[in-house]
Parts: sequence; structure tokens; C-alpha cells
Amino acid sequence: MLARSAQGLYWMGRYLERADHLSRLLQLQAEALVDRSTGEIYSGWRRIYGSLDREPPGGGLELEPSHDGAAPQFQQTRAPSGQAQTQRRISDEYTLADSFTLADDLTFERANPSSLWSCFALGRENARQMRHCISAEMWRSLNLTYLKLQRIRMLDIWLASPEGFYAETAEDIETFMGVASATMYRDEGWHFMQLGRFLERSQLASSLLLAQLEVDKDPNEQADSEHTESDWTTLLRIYHAQEAYARTHGVEIRPDQVLDLLVTDPLLPDSMQRAVDAVSDAVAAVGPGPDRESSAAANRLAGRLRSLVSYEWPDAEDKPRLLLRIADLSRQLHSLVNAVYFDY
Amino acid sequence: MTTADRFRDYSIDADIFDEMFHVDGRTRDNWQGLRRALTDISSEELTAIQERVTRSFSNEGITFTVYGDEEADERIIPIDCVPRLIAEAEWRELEAGLTQRLRALNLFLQDVYGESQVTKDGVIPDEMVLSCPQYRLEMRGFTPPHGTWVAICGTDLVRTNEGFRVLEDNLRVPSGVSYMIANRKAAKTSLRRLYRASRVLEVEHYGRLLLDTLKELAPTERGNPSIALLTPGVYNSAFYEHMFLAHELGAELVQGQDLVVNEGFVYMKTTAGLRRVDVVYRRVDDDFLDPTVFRPDSVLGVPGLMDAYLKGNVALANAPGTGVADDKSIYTYVPDLIRYYLGEEPSLQNVETYLCRRPQELEYVLDNLDELVVKRVGESGGYGMLIGPHATSQERSEYAEQVRSNPADFIAQPTLALSRSPCLIDGKFEPRHVDLRPFILHGQTTRIVPGAFCRVALRRGSLVVNSSQGGGGKDVWVLEE
Repeated sequence: MLARSAQGLYWMGRYLERADHLSRLLQLQAEALVDRSTGEIYSGWRRIYGSLDREPPGGGLELEPSHDGAAPQFQQTRAPSGQAQTQRRISDEYTLADSFTLADDLTFERANPSSLWSCFALGRENARQMRHCISAEMWRSLNLTYLKLQRIRMLDIWLASPEGFYAETAEDIETFMGVASATMYRDEGWHFMQLGRFLERSQLASSLLLAQLEVDKDPNEQADSEHTESDWTTLLRIYHAQEAYARTHGVEIRPDQVLDLLVTDPLLPDSMQRAVDAVSDAVAAVGPGPDRESSAAANRLAGRLRSLVSYEWPDAEDKPRLLLRIADLSRQLHSLVNAVYFDY
Repeated sequence: MTTADRFRDYSIDADIFDEMFHVDGRTRDNWQGLRRALTDISSEELTAIQERVTRSFSNEGITFTVYGDEEADERIIPIDCVPRLIAEAEWRELEAGLTQRLRALNLFLQDVYGESQVTKDGVIPDEMVLSCPQYRLEMRGFTPPHGTWVAICGTDLVRTNEGFRVLEDNLRVPSGVSYMIANRKAAKTSLRRLYRASRVLEVEHYGRLLLDTLKELAPTERGNPSIALLTPGVYNSAFYEHMFLAHELGAELVQGQDLVVNEGFVYMKTTAGLRRVDVVYRRVDDDFLDPTVFRPDSVLGVPGLMDAYLKGNVALANAPGTGVADDKSIYTYVPDLIRYYLGEEPSLQNVETYLCRRPQELEYVLDNLDELVVKRVGESGGYGMLIGPHATSQERSEYAEQVRSNPADFIAQPTLALSRSPCLIDGKFEPRHVDLRPFILHGQTTRIVPGAFCRVALRRGSLVVNSSQGGGGKDVWVLEE
């Protein structure tokens, strides 16, 4: 297959995976706006921006400590006194106004290359240029979603149901993946698309899990175990793992169990294990590039990635370090694939 | 509302050929079925059909690109749901005329890049050929496979009360064939019963005929030739068509950067290394094909491509240098060329054309500027043109100055009364001006699908069919007899 076409399909896979992931994050964040404390809401935004490795518009999202300098402001909002009620109203308004700006930046901002719109539009643009390499049904499904998104603005969704919008967008992308899996010829193009998609997923998941572990370590937030629990529940939902967790571990949410499930469960469609398995299968399936030695190196790298999750994870003490290694290996594999197959 | 009502305001002008109606208002024979079918469809249904057709284009992303100040804009070519009908007998005549014309043009190209007998015999002035910017000295002495210089031709035809006329031969990189097929697909799904009842000749096998044509041009020793379609890229306004045709051909869609030339052979960069290419269906202009031969600043082209081509190691369709045969002044000689090369009378006529390089004709043109369309020889796409009847007297006198200072650069034609065909406009049928671009393929033999891209000037009274200026398209049904 033409190297540039393969590259286009690889990036199509990457961008759409990113858009899907972001819609799910934003869906849950939009739900949090209904009933969570301002503190949780801000930590949610921090986690999203952290996992995208991007600064929010207008700088950091650190909460101001309250006047006595002890506890951050969000804890006050829970106090039932009249004084705090007023405080809560004001800070709620700020929080919602901030959230609108942040959500817009992450959803429709054309100038933000990590926004949902940008990722989706870039995925669709790659598909448009490689339309002859994918099925007509795939193109149609993608283009319909694109035309729909093109017409929507933040204000249209904000007051009614932002979470509904994000859920629908995630569903549209997943439908596209379903259409792809039902209709696309399993040629090299398919494997490169899979490679892009799952490499992206392993990178995104490792950074999101890392970001959560960092939030947990933060002394300001550690105290609140209810908060931690709801964060990890959110993660379970992002990766469609809530039922699987309940079946295996019951109702009690323990971060270490959640983490293990999300990383290693071979039956969970969104687990890291399945992502790295798919990466390694895709690399094997595309076959040797022009330079056999480099292709073999790509295969070995994919194998190492897989074994990190399969064999090293269960016994590893320092999970954050292992997540960093997974992210790092994924990046290396990305560069190697580019050098071996696309830009030789 | 009955159909009679919908056609009640339909105006017929004795000076303009109407595709559906005789001057006295009677429906032409081959349109009777369509007319009856339209009686059975309610207004609402018709509007729904029109909407469905338009939506299907936007959903499928059948677009062309328009450039504004900011970013490239993907637009659809508006399609009108009422097909234009042509009787098979009429089509066969057109087909014969188009075949004849392309045969003569290919012989002409072979001649002017060879012995140039045609200029020696005084059929056409030598300097007219040599001074044409599209004449490529690099091609002299070369013979492409089967003498086929033009493998893909899209001829613009218009119809007046006198019959069909050739307005332009597009012999370089003609586009629009994907719209012929897209319009057909849309018409088939929206007018299902009528289509079945009408016995329309098929056009959707165009891709297969194109593939056969391109294969015939491949270097002979190559068993199963590998074909690539060379596109200038996604920013080209016809990118959709390039993608569509690559898909139809099962060819790779390549850009200049994807091809490399090694020791006179052309290869494309695949994920498994370099793979040889035998035929390049190029949708890139001559100027940009090969920076070592033509424009050195071209980044769209492939260094060394011409060398490989002239060695016979790769085929190019169309051959470089075909533009000399669709030059606006050489156009006037095509009927003579047909007589000269084939010893036959041309079955398709040209539009009457005045060459300003001839003093007498220049005088006539300057005296009648208010009735003529004057065009620059080297320009295309409607640029550098004066439409006399629509221009102010100041515009005309300014233009006259330019013509006088360099007459050889100009030709003039009478303002044509393009024929009109019914279109659905706001729930009613109204006549709109149309043209017709059939596509002629020639490898070893000539192949033509019975159909064309019909462009429509959707604005009332407008004669401009260009899609960038409010033009649309409609399907063309050649009806089996």
C-alpha cells in the first residue's frame, strides 16, 4: 500500500480514538457539573487538561486557599452556615462560568488542536484524503457526524444537556468503529488504522491513569476519600468497566483494584492489555517494511510493550513508573513505525 | 397542483432551443414519458426528491473545493433532479462526431510533433503551432503507444437551433466525469420508477472503460500493469474526482512526493518499499509534471518523470503537449484538420469563430463588439473574456484597445443561445441554459459511455454554467430506442 495512504489511515485511527476518548471524559465531567462539589469539578478539569498535556485557557486551575490559609476553598462550600451558602453560590457561578469556557475550549475551539472538534475534523480529513482506501460506509458514517458537529455551538448544548451531546458523539465514533469493523477489507490499511487507534489508546490511558494517581497523591485532596472514590468510579465508566468491576470486586471501590482491572483485564474491551495486544498484532500483520531489520525492531518494541502489561504489571511495586514506561514505549513505537513504513 | 400548472409559466423562446418542447409548445417525443411521470408526482413529492438528491451529495461528501480568504471550503455542486433526455439516435450521431474529431486531433498531434506535414501543406500556419505556449518542444520526435496523445477527452458541446456545436475540446486534464456518475446514482435513487420505465443507457461502467484504455497504453512487456493516478493533492478543486477515479480504477492515488524515478523507471513509495509504476493517469498540468523539464518551482511533480516517459518506461495519460490541439485559435482549424487527415466531412460543427489575427476578421470583431464574446487565446475558465452584450461601452472600448495592440491573442464568437432544459425551481419547472460534456476515451480503440456531465446555469437568464459561479449539474439520460 502507498506509504502516504497508510500514514493517513494510521492518523485517522489516532485522531478518532482521541476524539472518542475526549468525548467520554467530557461526558462524565458534564455530569459532574450537576451534583459534585466545586473541588471535584476543578480536579476533573485538571485531570483532563493534564492527560492532554495542555494548559487551560487563562492559565492554571489551582484553587485559591481560603483566608486562614488552611483549607482550600472548595471545602467551605460544603459547610451549611449562611455565610458559606453565599460563598457557595458565588463560587458555583464562577465554577459554571469557568466550566463553560473550559468545555468550549476542549470541545469546539478550532484553534485548540486537542479539542474534540479538531481531533474529529483531522480524523475525518485523513479519511477524506484516503477515502479510496476505506469502505464507502465508513466514509459516510464519519461524514454525517462531521456535518452534524459542524452545525453545533457550545451554547446550543450547554443549557440543555451537554452530557447528552458528548454521549452521542462518543456513540457516533464508536458506531464508526463498528461500521469499520463490519465493512473494511482487512488489508494493510486496516492494520495501520488499528495500529494508530490502539497506540493512541495506550498513550491516552497511561496518561489519564497517571494524572489520577497524581491527583490522589496531592495532599489537598487526599483527605477526601469520597472524592477519590468518585474519581475512580468515573474512570471505570470512561473505560466501560463499571459492570465488570462490580462483578469481580463488588461495590467497594478500591483504587488499586480499579487500576489493575483497567490495565490488565483481558476481557475488558477498553483495557490497556487489549490495546497493547492489538498494537502488537497490528505491527505483526503489516509485515516487513523496506528495511527488514527495522521492521523486526518494531515488532520487538511492540512485544516489549505487551510484556510490560502482561508480565511486569502484576508484580510491579511502582505502578506510576510502569505507566510512564508504557507511555514512553508507545511514543518510541510511534516514531519507529513512522521511520520504518512512512518516511523512509 | 397539477403538472399542467407547473409548466404553465414555462416560457419558450423561439430563438433558444428548448430540450423538452417544440417552439409551438408540444412536448418532444422522447420527453413524453417524463412529462407523464411528472403528472403523477405531487409538488411535495417533487420537492422532497430534490431535497433528497441534494442531501445525498452533501452526505456522501461529493464536493469541490473553493478558496476564500481563510480556509478551503468544501461545496457541493447543486444538482437539479430533472434529467436531460437525449434520444439514442441523436446520441449515436454525436458519438460518431466525437470519435471522428478525436481521431483527427490525435493525428494532428502526432504530425506537429513529427514531420509537421500539416503546416508544410499550408493547412495551418506554422507559426501558429510553434508560437502556442502549449507546444512542448520536448515532445518532438516522440510517438506515444498507438499514437494516442489524448486518451481522455472531455468535449464541451452546446446546442442551438442549428444543432449541436463544439465549444471547446478539453484535451489536457478534463474533469467532471465523477459528477456524471454521481448525478446518475442520485437520479436512480430519487426517480426509481421513472428510471426503470425509461430504459436509460448505462454510464456507470466508465471506470472499467478507463481502466481498459489505460492498460492499452502501458509499456508492452508489462503483463499486469500497475496504474497510479497523480493528483496535485487535496487542495485541488477536483480532488473528489481524483479520489473517486482512483477508487474506480483500483489504482493508487499518488502525489508527486510519492513517486521517485530511478535510472529511468518510475516507482511509488509503498509500505513495503518501492514498487514500479507503468501508467500514470496524471491530473496535474504539463507545467507541473517534472521540475527538471518544465517549471522548476513545481513541487507537485516528479523529477525525472519526463526522462522515464520519453524512454518508454512509463505511460502518461494524457501525453504532455496536447494543449496545442485545444488552443483557442487552432480550434478554428479543427474542421479543416478532419478533412485533411481523414478525408471526411466533419459531422460535428464548430461554433463560428473569428480570428483577430486576420485583418478582415479583426475589423468585423471591432465593429461588432456589442454582439460578440471575445476571448484570449491563452486563457481558459472564463478569464480574460469580454461578453459584449453584457459589457458597458467603456469596457468595450478598453477591451478594443487590447485587441488592437495584439490581435493574434484574441478570438471572437457570436453570443450563443445555449439551449435550455427544464429545472425544478421553487416547486415549479423553469427553463435554464445547459451545456453538455461527454467524455471520450481512446487507447487502442475509442470508448464512450452514453452520457455526459450536463452543466446548468441555475440563475435565471444566466449563461454561465461554471460551478464556481452558480452553475449546477443534472443527469443526462440517453434513452434506448
